[in-house]
Amino acid sequence: MRIQFEPEGFQPPRGGLILLQCIVAGLFFLFVVRFWYLQIHRGEEFARMARENRLRQERIYASRGLLRDREGRLLAENRPAFGLALVREDCRDIPSTLAQVSEWTGIPLDQLTAKFNQDRLRVKPFEHLLLISDMPFDLLARIENRVLQWPGLEIVTRSKRNYPQGELMAHILGYVAEANEKELEDDKDLNLGDFVGKQGLELVLERRLRGQKGLHQLEVDVLGRQLNKKLVQEPQSGENIDLSIDLGLQQVAWDALEDETGCVVAMDPDTGRLLALVTKPSFDNNAFAAGLSLKEWQALRDNPRHPLQNRVIQSVYPPGSVWKLMMAGMLLNEGVNPTDSVWCTGEVALGKQVFRCWKKGGHGRVDMMRSLIESCDVYYYQMSDRFGIDKIEAFAKACGFGAPTGIDLPHEKSGLVPSKQWKRRRFGEPWHRGETLNVSIGQGFTLVTPVQVASFVSALMNGGKLLKPSLLVDEDPTVRSSLPFTAAGRKMILDGMRQTVNDDRGTAKVLRRADAVMGGKTGTAQVTKLKMVGEERVRTENLAYEHRDHAWIATWGEKAGKRLVVVVMVEHGGHGGSDAGPVARRVYDKFFGSPPGAAPLAPAGQSAPAAPATPGAVSPGQPVQPVQPVQSVQSVQPGQPGQSVPQVQPAPVSRSAIPVPPPARPDQAVGAPEQPEQQDRQDEGLRTVPAGRSARPAGRDRATGRGAEAPEVEDAREGQHRYDPDTFDPDAATTDGRGGDDGVAPPLRRFQDVAPEDGQ
Amino acid sequence: MTPIDRRLITHMNWGLVGFTALLFLFGVANLYSASGVRMEDGIVVSTFYQKQLLWGLMGLGGMVFFMLFDYRHMKSLALPLFIITMILLAAIPVFGKVVYGARRWLPLGFMNLQPSEVAKIAILIMGARFLSRSREPLGWKGLFEVLGLGLLPASFIVMQPDLGTTLLLLMLLGGITLFHGVKPGVLKTCLVVVPSLLPLAWFRLHDYQKQRILTFLDPGNDPLGAGYHIIQSQIAIGSGQLWGKGFLGGTQSQLRFLPEKHTDFALAVFGEEWGFMGCVVLLALFCLFLLSIFNTARDAKDRFGSYLTVGVFFYFFWQILINMGMVMGLMPVVGVPLPFISYGGSATLVNFCLIGLVLNVSMRRFMFKTS
Repeated sequence: MRIQFEPEGFQPPRGGLILLQCIVAGLFFLFVVRFWYLQIHRGEEFARMARENRLRQERIYASRGLLRDREGRLLAENRPAFGLALVREDCRDIPSTLAQVSEWTGIPLDQLTAKFNQDRLRVKPFEHLLLISDMPFDLLARIENRVLQWPGLEIVTRSKRNYPQGELMAHILGYVAEANEKELEDDKDLNLGDFVGKQGLELVLERRLRGQKGLHQLEVDVLGRQLNKKLVQEPQSGENIDLSIDLGLQQVAWDALEDETGCVVAMDPDTGRLLALVTKPSFDNNAFAAGLSLKEWQALRDNPRHPLQNRVIQSVYPPGSVWKLMMAGMLLNEGVNPTDSVWCTGEVALGKQVFRCWKKGGHGRVDMMRSLIESCDVYYYQMSDRFGIDKIEAFAKACGFGAPTGIDLPHEKSGLVPSKQWKRRRFGEPWHRGETLNVSIGQGFTLVTPVQVASFVSALMNGGKLLKPSLLVDEDPTVRSSLPFTAAGRKMILDGMRQTVNDDRGTAKVLRRADAVMGGKTGTAQVTKLKMVGEERVRTENLAYEHRDHAWIATWGEKAGKRLVVVVMVEHGGHGGSDAGPVARRVYDKFFGSPPGAAPLAPAGQSAPAAPATPGAVSPGQPVQPVQPVQSVQSVQPGQPGQSVPQVQPAPVSRSAIPVPPPARPDQAVGAPEQPEQQDRQDEGLRTVPAGRSARPAGRDRATGRGAEAPEVEDAREGQHRYDPDTFDPDAATTDGRGGDDGVAPPLRRFQDVAPEDGQ
Repeated sequence: MTPIDRRLITHMNWGLVGFTALLFLFGVANLYSASGVRMEDGIVVSTFYQKQLLWGLMGLGGMVFFMLFDYRHMKSLALPLFIITMILLAAIPVFGKVVYGARRWLPLGFMNLQPSEVAKIAILIMGARFLSRSREPLGWKGLFEVLGLGLLPASFIVMQPDLGTTLLLLMLLGGITLFHGVKPGVLKTCLVVVPSLLPLAWFRLHDYQKQRILTFLDPGNDPLGAGYHIIQSQIAIGSGQLWGKGFLGGTQSQLRFLPEKHTDFALAVFGEEWGFMGCVVLLALFCLFLLSIFNTARDAKDRFGSYLTVGVFFYFFWQILINMGMVMGLMPVVGVPLPFISYGGSATLVNFCLIGLVLNVSMRRFMFKTS
């Protein structure tokens, strides 16, 4: 680079040079005079102040706000804790003092020394360095007087958090523990040794609960004796907060779950406030507040039943048949007439796949109401195939699935509503038609949290408002969005839930009670991850054996203006109606009072109905059945004017018609050794396949005690069972809450027979 | 590359090198004492002084780097550097990292860059470049141009918020401007108008900044916060008396509540331990340090070099004035460190780089014809 030359003889500005010299001189004289003033003129005075009067500041801890349930019962309180602290500046001989403490307490000296060395760079010499944070009373009594003889040792009283309910409320309340390095960095109000909320409401409400520390200014002499003490700043206690939880209901739900792994959530459908939120197994949050040893922590963390997990919001499960509540709503929105019916033979074939209904012989003629009551899978296979995954996805998301509910607890999960884009992103594969069928019955990739289900059912109850689940009794309801249901649609679904309780073949009969209107929907969630179509069919028995299904029940009840939504999920519970149902039942018994004339419910978990059929019952190798040319569709109402006619994939058929394969085509069920190659799959429709076991549909109907005129009977009962809180039909109520099927398909019964898609 | 010439070495401002080294060593020794934690069984010293030494070594590297090339190249680098700085500053509101409520840092992955530190160097070079174009004292037009030049980065930095750096930038630019000269009429008007505008600035300050000024006027009204610092640091310095309490001898009892005793209030520790005599020596050292920068500014062979040096002069001068004034209760508490005495990584690095710049100017004062 060329350097520019300046004309020779540059002279810096004279004025500027003088200015610089002057300010340097000014600087010197200004500060020399100031130093002289401070150090010589007033030196004696300052030296005396330094020598004699030392100011110290002492923090006054604010008491943390209390947490209470909706009735004012204490959930989190403060109790005094006595600690032993060392003030380094006052201590004559630290090693022997520590040795003395070790002798008194039995804590190994090296442990004390390690603690001391770790903290001394953070704690100022004149401040309390806490050696022992919580001394038992007998130790306190023993050393109280002796401590006085050891300058530098002091007994300090701090308040300590106590949770009287222990593990019953642990997941809701969370716990407090000493602030860690990061929290100390991020929050300048915190000091070493301060307790802050780490989990649950203690964390979420930290700002409101904490309050503000106060400050004492102490004047002490060289020996550390206090000359005077001035209150500089009054501490401000944290806010006391009342939760929406009803401790009594919480306890009942807790007891009802017994030793199961699972959770219960009870919600006021009109406000979104939670009255109970139980998750089992749990942990004792007092142990966290006291400080957990590494071993205890590891034991909790590695426990295969995951006691640290709040299952209501942090565990995701396939919703199983509970999903059908949402699916039915979608079908109604898409213009499906509720009286349109499908003939359920027990299974449906799509290509080489066979999708089975939970009920081996099939349900026969099934309309929407029946499909809810008896939880027929085939109905949803058929229907979902008409509308496709995109519609399901959009509707499910509008119902609040696939997104957190916004509950004021940390680490809430979103669940998953699968979609074409999601699958492409996740697996790099296109969506398969069969997967839509799986999704339609709440299996496959679909995952929900129990609180999402509770929020959804509440919205059905409250006029379609999806509310943020709230844990605070005085929090105003927050409407997240509105349910995409019509009023009639909601009524229809609620009615279906009611009949599921009251119908003899309903799966939620356990909830039946004479004095209240009850509704419910059971579900079974397969534990094993869905095997990709065509991936594998070997480990059927293994998986089925090792992973029992999860049991769901989503319920609501209304009695004299009191309304409640209860959702129960029992992991590996098996059957929604028989395992989750009684838990919900007990919650209602507490909430509404015991039903009149009813014997108290036997403890849950016994007298389970007949075990699910073993998978072997439908194992491959059964004789191939020819397809029956059954007209499985009953097209009841011709298309209404102005209503869009959904196009079914294979061929343009009337809107409620399900495509039926050509007659006499060989069944593609597994076990058929020689099968003709599949045609273009897109051209194929769902084929209802008569179950190989039961010969004729009519016989099956008779076997279940229902005549072929079942649909007519349904219609006759319609008015009677319409959802109406004021006119409850007492005839329908029985105390027999058990028995009956609950829409459970034994694990993998649906998918075990999946034939390799690309194998041939 | 500039040829290695013996005159480069012989003409270097060795006085400045010496004073800088002395100040830095004073600083490290003082840090050793300030960051120690006193205990009955000895003194535990935290690692601040080691880190400071490390930063000093890096600073030495930066200093040598700034001596290697001919400083006149920077004339053409001034504008690009200034523009880059502005981009960095503008990026802060978008990408910046918030630490303790102030958004000052840009995360670069491996380290956090504080663009306001870069801005100090950029404005210094840009100011020198701009003002050295003519020898005429500034009129209104020139003054406003300089003002605009300074307000551009300053307006970004004040929003971070970082009042200390903002003031330093503007005062640095003002220093060079005064050195260059302003037309007497313009100067007189400014002396009247600017003080009358100050009350307006009051309303633009953050609450905590107002509080500091109020506290300075009456330390008693905030005995826990800044006022407490002022009182305690005066007690510490005053109790040093004539000879001080000796190295590591300060009781530091008065400083116990000073979170910044190794940074902004490091001088208080020094004053307590070394007393009036030590303080006068330190003060004299600072003045000699400034005067040796002054020498280079006076002897520089061209206007740009001279103005660069004056910029560095004011950079240090203001920091010394503000920090000492604050610690001794003559000025409000503003977070400005004392050069070479206070702990601070990037500040130390920048300090050494600027010394390298001055040495660069001094080395090449007779070299024009060879290049």
